[in-house]
Parts: sequence; C-alpha cells; structure tokens
Amino acid sequence: MAISNEEVNLFINTVKNASSYNFSNYSERSFARRLDKILKDNQIDVYSLISKIRRDNIFLEKIVKDITVNTTELFRDPKTWHVIRYRVLSKLKNQRTINIWHAGCSTGQEVYSMLVLLKEMNLFDKANVFASDINSDVLELAKKGSYKYRFNINYLENFDSVIKTNPYNFEEYKEVSFAKYFTVDKQNDTIKVKDLLKNKVLFRKHDLVNGNNIFYTKFDLILCRNVLIYFNHKLQNQVFENFHKYLFPNGSLILGIHESMLGAASAKYNKRGLVYIKKS
Amino acid sequence: MLRKNNYKAIILGGSAGSFQVVTKILASLPKSFSIPFFLCLHRLKHVRSGFIEALSIKSILPVIEPNDKEHIRKGNIYLAPANYHMYVELGNIFSLSTEKPVNHSRPSIDLSFFSASYAYRDKLIGIIVSGANKDGALGLKSVKDMGGLTVVQDPKECQVKTMTTAAMDSTNVDKVLSTDEIIRFLRRLA
Repeated sequence: MAISNEEVNLFINTVKNASSYNFSNYSERSFARRLDKILKDNQIDVYSLISKIRRDNIFLEKIVKDITVNTTELFRDPKTWHVIRYRVLSKLKNQRTINIWHAGCSTGQEVYSMLVLLKEMNLFDKANVFASDINSDVLELAKKGSYKYRFNINYLENFDSVIKTNPYNFEEYKEVSFAKYFTVDKQNDTIKVKDLLKNKVLFRKHDLVNGNNIFYTKFDLILCRNVLIYFNHKLQNQVFENFHKYLFPNGSLILGIHESMLGAASAKYNKRGLVYIKKS
Repeated sequence: MLRKNNYKAIILGGSAGSFQVVTKILASLPKSFSIPFFLCLHRLKHVRSGFIEALSIKSILPVIEPNDKEHIRKGNIYLAPANYHMYVELGNIFSLSTEKPVNHSRPSIDLSFFSASYAYRDKLIGIIVSGANKDGALGLKSVKDMGGLTVVQDPKECQVKTMTTAAMDSTNVDKVLSTDEIIRFLRRLA
C-alpha cells in the first residue's frame, strides 16, 4: 500500500475541519486501503485530494460517499433472520407498537427483508420502521427499492430459507412466493420491491459517530450489521453506549455474524446467542 | 539464521487445489506451535459453514473464524470468514470488512497480506499455495518488500499453478517448497 499513516491522518484532519465527518476512530488499515483505492481510482495524490477537499464541498461529499462501504443483501445470513423471527419479533407480537431502527441501512435490502417478515408475521401495521445511513445516495436507492437481478439470485434462496422454513420446527413449512413482495424482471435485470412495502419506512441521513437520536423515539429492536466493523474498538463501544440509551428496557440489538461487543458497554447487555438485550 | 521465536505470524493464501495442502499442513503442526497462523482461502460464497469444520477435523490446533476486533492469540489458526475481508490491525487485532471483492474474491488474499505485512514487517512469513487466479501475488510482494520471508508451494506440485507462478513473477520469493518441505520448515519454527 502506497499511502502512509501520516497521509491518512492528514486526510482525516482535513475532512474533520471542513465538514461534520470524523473518521478519526475508524479501523485503520481498512480505512487506509479504501483511501488508497480512491487515490488510484481518481489518479490523484493525497495532497491534491486534500487541497480539492478544502476548496470543494461537493467533492468532499463525493469522497466521503466513496469511502463508506455499502454491501448488503436481502435476508443476508438467514440464520440471523431466523433468530429475529423466532427469538425477537415473536416476543413482541403482543405489544401495541414495535419500533425498529436499521442503523446503517445502505441500499435498503435489510429494511425490506424486515418488512416482508413483519407482513408474514402480521406485525406490519403495528411496526414503526426507521432507517439511517451516513451516505445520502444509498438512502435514495433504498427509497426506490430496485435492485439488480444478476449476481443476486441468492436473494431468492435467502427468502425461501427465512420465509418458508422454521429451523426450530422442521415440520413447519409455508409456501410464500417471492413474487408476493418483489417483481423480478430478468429482461431488465431488476428485482423491484412491490408497492405494498413502500412508504412504510422513515429514511434519514445519520452518522453514527455523532451520537444523537434523530428519530426522537426509543426502539424495541436495533439492527446494526457489518457497520461497526469499520470503527475501532473505542468508537464501537461509544456506539454501543448510545444504542443502550435508545433501546427500551429489554430491547434487542442485532450485530453482524462476525461482530461481538467487547469492552465496558457489554456489561449493560445480556447476550443471548446473536442478540444483545438491554439489561433493565 | 532461522531462529526460534523470530517470526510473529504466518499468513497463507490459496484457492483451487489448496484444501488438501492446507489440511496436510494443519495436521502436521504440533500442539506446541505458538505462532499465530492466518489462512486466507477462497471458497464458494455459499459455502459458509462446513469449511471450518472440515479444517478443524484435521487440525491439531484450534481453527477459528475471528470476529471483528478479536485479539490475535498464540497457538490459534485463524481462517478468514466467508464473504469478509480480513485485515490485521496494529495492536494484534483483526478487523473485518465487507468492501467489494478484490480480484473477484472476498476474502481477498492481497488485502490480508498487505495488512499483515504492514503490522509484522520482517517478522512475517507469507506462503502462497495452489490456486486458480492471481490474488496473493501483490500481497506476497508486499511481504517481501517489508522484509518478511516469502514461500511458495512448488508450482510443479500444485493442482492449479496460476497463483503460485503469479506470485513468483511478482517478487523474488525466498523459498519454493513442496508441501512436505513447507511442513518441515514450519515444524522447525515450533
């Protein structure tokens, strides 16, 4: 990798001074790698990049968007969705309302997966669903709910696994068609979310580094999967503290399958398999 | 020249044809082997479970798919989790990432090797074995450039030699060894 630590820090400080973004506590090596890639993609050296960022706010926003990671898929990691369905939502079904926050929702696949699940569990109408991301471009894509078909055929497999079967009861099987919720158009290479799932979600731009609660409500469930991996240990812990503040007592936090809560904040949660439950 | 405890980590990359090589190596490392060993192996995107179990059956040392920010400990074999890039951060911890695949691969061998060579410099051994693409070539070059020791499985022995020959083209590797020779070499470090 060509870029030095000093150069990365110079970039981070420039962005910090010129905007509200603060990358100081991001995972160092993966951040350096993405910055290095941006330099190569733009055929620019770090000093030219920095001086352009100082002068041009639109360019700064573009670079920030490029440096954030937006991988997501429908029903990513079906095992996690089984847990959400049979271990989390099932316990909330007698509540009057269910508040859910997708923190770092990217292009929205996780949000629509949730909406499908809520429909299938007859919880859709009592749910309030909130979603946020640091990148306003991906939020626009999330609102549209239109995805590529090619390379995403696993969406259909994931859907079948989560919606049709119950790993906790092998005798249970429910035939639900993917077409009930999505329109697949192979000719135009699209998978489109149907209208019955639209206009349910409040999408808002939000940076987890700034710990404020932009939705002014507490949550029964927060999903934050494969987002905090880009933060260092210290910042992760700070976010876990904030989530704790914004969860109802006994509220649940779901992380990615290869994430865990280390550090002081973990004392405020009970871990049940993949779920972190706020101690009351 | 090769003193015990000189090396702080070993990283191995492989793809097609690497599974048998890796299981043979893991079956031959003694319980006393105390250098953290990172494996970055390509596998089918959907083979998310089963793979680590298959490696664990053969391995004497525990094989672990690390979580993000997990501490690197001696005596463990670490396997890059499916569908994540695995970085080594300074301070002996991992970080994971779901950035786009590099060379069509996630995990990317190059990315793991870059970060490990940055963290361990001349205290790292990098090994490339059988594989069907060029991922790992730049990574092994980085190990060499940072002063680490570079090893490649003898292409003559590889099921698929694209990866090893690409690595040899990208840098002047220190050792070209058969699987048995790699094992003998590693056992001397124990």
